Amino acid sequence: MGLLQRAIEAEGIPTIGITLLKEVTQKVKPPRALYLRYPFGHPMREAFQVDQQRTILLDALKAVETITEPGTIREPGYRWRRHRFRLRP
Amino acid sequence: MANLSELKNTILVQLFKHASWLSARWARHHRFIEAEDIPWAPMKKPIRETVIAVVTTAGVHLKTQPPFDMDDPDGDPSFRVIPSDVQTDRVTITHKYYDHTAADRDINVVLPLDRLRELAVEGRIGGIAPSVYSFMGHIDGPHLKTLMEEMAPEVARRLRADGAEAVFLTPA
Repeated sequence: MGLLQRAIEAEGIPTIGITLLKEVTQKVKPPRALYLRYPFGHPMREAFQVDQQRTILLDALKAVETITEPGTIREPGYRWRRHRFRLRP
Repeated sequence: MANLSELKNTILVQLFKHASWLSARWARHHRFIEAEDIPWAPMKKPIRETVIAVVTTAGVHLKTQPPFDMDDPDGDPSFRVIPSDVQTDRVTITHKYYDHTAADRDINVVLPLDRLRELAVEGRIGGIAPSVYSFMGHIDGPHLKTLMEEMAPEVARRLRADGAEAVFLTPA
């Protein structure tokens, strides 16, 4: 996803990406990122959790507005609370 | 054998979802296209006046569009164009490399169009660009070149033509 983000930014449009894998983001170096320690498949957290989804989106928009240093990875530090270790059939 | 390989994939998907150290280890050892320079386009105005576009790599597409290719182990570098005013029950996800159970119930988990619309109504963003561009992640091998040299520049040009003034990207 970082590669796509870099291509869009290179076209002259500011970008912000959510990342769930900081190690990859540090290598690929998109211009701006918001890092969340959430499981894959949950960049905006959980289903129907409107407040959390909204908060993350607002954080991302704030980040694109305020980050001035290329390559910044901002970390709001929200914790994933509910783990589910069920395998799908 | 096909069932066995599906089962193996399902187990790997769950392992990588829940064991973040495993993902971190994979990231350290996997080869990425690494960069030194970082492209930069400054924001030209406040977010409340800015038209926002959304790009996702979560494998979302309209139910009427062809699904992403799950048979090619290197993934599918193509993209789908989804109208940003789509009714969310008209989209679905084709992606076997992550657990999208939650996003199947509420697409806003990977593609927060409802949240974005609320912000537009409240005047907290300047608007929503007409199209969402949707990819699947998990692109590898020869498809990386196609993604980098054809698909990504094509989407970047389309976003510009759409009047997008900032782009929000979500992964799987």
